[in-house]
Amino acid sequence: MNDLSVHFEGVSKKYPHFTLENIGLELPTGSIMGFIGANGAGKSTTIRILMGLVHQDQGTVHVLGHPMPEEQAAAKLEIGYVSEDMRLYGAATLEWHMRFIRSIYPRWDQPYAESLLQRFDLKAEQKIKGLSHGQRVKAALLLALARRPRLLVLDEPTTGLDPVARHEVLGELMAVLADEDRTILFSSHNTLDVEQISDQITFIDRGRIIDSDDKEIFLDRWRRLRLVLPPDAALPKLSGIVQVGGSDRLPVLTTNSFKSDMVSACHNMGATVQAIDNMTLEEIFVANVQSRRERQTV
Amino acid sequence: MNYSMVKCLMLKDWYLQRWTIAASLAAGAVTLAIILSGNKAAFYIGLLLLITVVISVGAHLAISTMVLERKEQTLSFVMSLPISYREYTAAKILVNLVLFLIPWLALVLGSFAIILLAPGLPHGLLPYVAIMATEILVSTSFIVSVALISESQGWTVAAIIAGNLALNVVGYFVAHIGSIARTMGEATVQWSPAGIFVLVAEFAAIALLLGFTFFLQSRKKDFL
Repeated sequence: MNDLSVHFEGVSKKYPHFTLENIGLELPTGSIMGFIGANGAGKSTTIRILMGLVHQDQGTVHVLGHPMPEEQAAAKLEIGYVSEDMRLYGAATLEWHMRFIRSIYPRWDQPYAESLLQRFDLKAEQKIKGLSHGQRVKAALLLALARRPRLLVLDEPTTGLDPVARHEVLGELMAVLADEDRTILFSSHNTLDVEQISDQITFIDRGRIIDSDDKEIFLDRWRRLRLVLPPDAALPKLSGIVQVGGSDRLPVLTTNSFKSDMVSACHNMGATVQAIDNMTLEEIFVANVQSRRERQTV
Repeated sequence: MNYSMVKCLMLKDWYLQRWTIAASLAAGAVTLAIILSGNKAAFYIGLLLLITVVISVGAHLAISTMVLERKEQTLSFVMSLPISYREYTAAKILVNLVLFLIPWLALVLGSFAIILLAPGLPHGLLPYVAIMATEILVSTSFIVSVALISESQGWTVAAIIAGNLALNVVGYFVAHIGSIARTMGEATVQWSPAGIFVLVAEFAAIALLLGFTFFLQSRKKDFL
């Protein structure tokens, strides 16, 4: 049985000034993956390859069991896709868009679409050009959700929204997602957005996947150790340290594989562990990217 | 080829362009009325306006249905639908052709009716008008091809200008082909071999242009 909704293997795509390199990505069915990367890291290119809109130079991509891009039409019949650069037709009403999508997707759920209209506080008879940016994002989400997709792909849907609209969109999206089991790939450079809705996290930087794991495991294994070293003592040599900050006497170690025996190891080497800090997803992402870039430049 | 998706995309563009088609039909009817007014100056002005209306609607359709789809980022919405780029290309070529043929046919038939029914006009003019009307169809097919392949407003505008220049050049040369020029003033419609050859060549050019565009676009790998 294939329990992966998305499976990338050795996928590469070369552009004149950017290369997506050897992307391996597995999205198990039923999970929500946050796909995090800085602007220009390769998130949108990866998602476009996933959707069959860009053809990979190398590697294989399977989406819902369909090889891409060969069977993109069949795969897209089961995908709901909303991207930051997606616009609806300004001269047409939301109702027309709903009718248009309903004529294409046999699983279109009209009662659900109407309930989303109410939940998102949208008016079907309103023309798209009269909607605010936040309302347009909600309209695009409604059109994606009501087709009852097996896979929902959201490419930076909250980018460009003001904080209030972003909060509203995310809140409503979370409420909708809580309703049932869905497989979702949610890309963003905003780690706070991703942290709220994802159970799996993948980081991408400069065209490469740099880390991928369960969100809780991520949050569990990344820690900051604040140490106090006696004068003239050397920094304890520990495995899994990705960054060293602070001062000579008060070093701050960032680890991506925290274990409780690290504390005793520090004590044994003469250091005092002043604090063990949990890290936010944003801190983890930044530390991950920085440590990888430092390793690359060494 | 998923024909039902091609049909869906065509109906979508029909809905979005329906007022353009209606406006072009109304404007075309006005120009035909000016031609019919009987005054010689009005005849030429009406003819010029008629040609302008037909050319404008073709150019407008190409820009609205293809160039603006990328510029206004609705292409991303369309390409998220269960279609391949082959189906998208087929839908765009067909919808532009079908939508353009509505005012084109109405206005060409209207012109034929005026030539055949209005007093004072030689029926021998009809082959020349048919050739020139088909040349507008060639020019529109060229604009559609450029718009679809380039998705660029600049290139499409250049194609519109080139199409218009070609129309003038073809009009001049066809009017100076002996067998066509000789029969233009006749009281009966007479198709010369040269006239038929030009007409067939024009339809062949349309088929080649659109076929080549479909072939080229179907092989495209990156769409967004």
